[in-house]
Amino acid sequence: MAGPALIPAGDFRTSYAADTTIFPTTTSRNFAIIGVLLLCLVPQFLGGYWLSILIQIGIFSIAALGLNILVGFTGQISIGHAAFFLLGAFTSAYISNNAPIPVFFAIPLAGVVTALVGLIFGIPAARLKGLYLVIATLAAQYILLDFFSRAEWFTGGSVPASANPFSIFGFALRGDRQYFYVVLAYVIASYVLVTNLMRTRDGRALVAIRDHYLSAEIMGINLTKYRTLSFGLAAFFAGIAGALYAHYQLVVSQEGFGIERSILFLAMIIIGGTGSIMGTLMGTAFVVLLPETMEFISLYLKGGAIDKALSLNTNITFLREIAIGVIIIAFLMFEPDGLAHRWRQIKAYWKLYPFSH
Amino acid sequence: MKTRSLLSPASLVLAIAAFSASAQAQIAIGHLADYSGGTSDVGTPYGQAVADTFAWVNKNGGVGGKQLNVDTNDYGYQVPRAIALYKKWSASDSKVAAIMGWGTADTEALTGFLAQDKIPDLSGSYAAALTDPEGVSGKAKPAPYNFFYGPSYSDSLRAMLMWAAEDWKAKGKAGKPKFVHMGANHPYPNAPKAAGEAMAQELGFEVLPPLVFALAPGDYSAQCLSLKSSGANYAYLGNTAASNISVMKACKTAGVEIQFLGNVWGMDENAAKTAGDAANGVIFPLRTAVSWGGDAPGMKTVMEISKMSDPTGKVYRPVHYIAAVCSALYMKEALDWAAKNGGATGENVAKGFHQKKDWVPAGMEGVCSPSTWTDKDHRGTLKVDLYRTKISGATDGDLNDLMAKGTIKLEKVKTIELPRKPELLGW
Repeated sequence: MAGPALIPAGDFRTSYAADTTIFPTTTSRNFAIIGVLLLCLVPQFLGGYWLSILIQIGIFSIAALGLNILVGFTGQISIGHAAFFLLGAFTSAYISNNAPIPVFFAIPLAGVVTALVGLIFGIPAARLKGLYLVIATLAAQYILLDFFSRAEWFTGGSVPASANPFSIFGFALRGDRQYFYVVLAYVIASYVLVTNLMRTRDGRALVAIRDHYLSAEIMGINLTKYRTLSFGLAAFFAGIAGALYAHYQLVVSQEGFGIERSILFLAMIIIGGTGSIMGTLMGTAFVVLLPETMEFISLYLKGGAIDKALSLNTNITFLREIAIGVIIIAFLMFEPDGLAHRWRQIKAYWKLYPFSH
Repeated sequence: MKTRSLLSPASLVLAIAAFSASAQAQIAIGHLADYSGGTSDVGTPYGQAVADTFAWVNKNGGVGGKQLNVDTNDYGYQVPRAIALYKKWSASDSKVAAIMGWGTADTEALTGFLAQDKIPDLSGSYAAALTDPEGVSGKAKPAPYNFFYGPSYSDSLRAMLMWAAEDWKAKGKAGKPKFVHMGANHPYPNAPKAAGEAMAQELGFEVLPPLVFALAPGDYSAQCLSLKSSGANYAYLGNTAASNISVMKACKTAGVEIQFLGNVWGMDENAAKTAGDAANGVIFPLRTAVSWGGDAPGMKTVMEISKMSDPTGKVYRPVHYIAAVCSALYMKEALDWAAKNGGATGENVAKGFHQKKDWVPAGMEGVCSPSTWTDKDHRGTLKVDLYRTKISGATDGDLNDLMAKGTIKLEKVKTIELPRKPELLGW
């Protein structure tokens, strides 16, 4: 994807530090800083609906980032990510309801607890690969979800659990406008953290395992340690995201976090580009925005000429679900390397404009 | 040319004024519908009826001269989506006067928020936990802004158990009858579980461990085999019709001799048609005095409302449609009261529900059961009309014909008027 073939002639580095820099040019760094500053101003201008969409993108992108460490960087797979997300949500709600710990601290704590559970479910990953690993992680999904529906002391059983609003030392944040900044802070911290992780020795070990596990082992990389660690990291970010989600919604319900949500997380990183940190954010935005866009279209169709001609009525809902599926298939056929790849091509096009040929 | 240039800004200003006036002169209502989720089989006719009723109200002048602006959303029976919609409806710039809610899980999740934001919610959930406005009974959280039309799940089950105890005696069977609660592990089927099992014990039933089956249709042969081996005599089906049918069919195949007791969402004409003779003899509560085409003065209004989405007037509407028309019209009259007494705000609408005793919406005489909500007790009615499905032949063909020919019949079995016990409030 970001192979050396894309690097133009004359663009070379003379030090290791330059080779691993996050921002290749000062302009790109400035753009990133300006982008963050602009996002800080967003709650002043956006309405409630768009703000809630941005918050959702933020929260889910943290969970998807965790999954990308596992899938995109380590070459493992998991279809139990939604269960870890939910575990983080319930844990944070439980901690902040039952212990004198403010939500501010409950969120990272929930991440740690989820990471520990993730390490346990990561054990089979040390021995299994490919399709066998898929089935092993499926177990995580079902075991955790069944646990949530039965452990009434922890989750409230089948009745949704309530979560406190975000607070620190008696100062509570209420409303989306304020919560947006909490999510933004977590998104920036997580993305900086993971970008840096991939520049360290441990990050390179993960990538080596993905590219060729046998060579990695011969070079002295402890496969068991790093594969399990990768599960723990993935679960950590899922837990953080889940906790953020719990204190955003103020209610935690296990509905909507079945296997289909786990697969949606996979869709986010596949659409965005596996092994691409920026791609994770793009893929999440795509997956969150797609149903909303389809909702607008179906709303527009409702009562219109097409609706009447085909007598669709409530079937528009089903058309919407079908359309989402079709768009994802089409996307994977025509854009197999993800949005991150397309973004790089757009940048390359404008860099060379008007002499792109 | 000059006149035109003068006219067009003027007309623009007029148009804007008219637009903003019409925008202001609307009453916003949120509507949660399940057209695609776990309860879509019964959620579709209910949601359609709510939409039809409000469209009909708008056609006939709206509420206090204002049109209702109903925001209908399919939330797929998912709590997170309901909460996201609620956030939109409770935001200060687009606050709704009332919500027509749906599921038990999402209604219970919203209860605290509704009280905080003072928005009444007339739900499709009949959980008894929603009936205690002040939380004095200690059995449930206070739910001052929750309403529903009909007997609660718990009260319906209590009535069916009373019928079952009599039925057992009438049949002259020896020993203790065995009762089992069946349904998904979900707030909706679970809502009346404890109350039902306590009542069953009181009436001398042997209570068997509950059996779980999913909200979606599926293969439930295993559950039927457990019913057979445990020798259960009466089983409560806590799910909606489509899923319950799967159980009835599987049990018919397995040759289980059992009396099924359905909840208000557990049986309807469409379900009886699909299940065929497997649905024969199911006991279930009906929330309205008559079903579609029944002999009551109010049925004319229902027929008119139905024409909002079916101009031909030929579509058969199941019991849930009629119950939803009643629900939406109670909401409309509460809005009416609020509009006349200080404006259609959530707080006034909730007060509007407390105004009348033995209340039947205008034009619905003989259809909606008289209901009374007070500021201390939101059990609208304690009267439970029990019906039995009777299927006497093949159920292929048009539902209108099947009902007209009597192939599918809803027979009235008994009306049970439960005492209004304060200790059972909220349970």
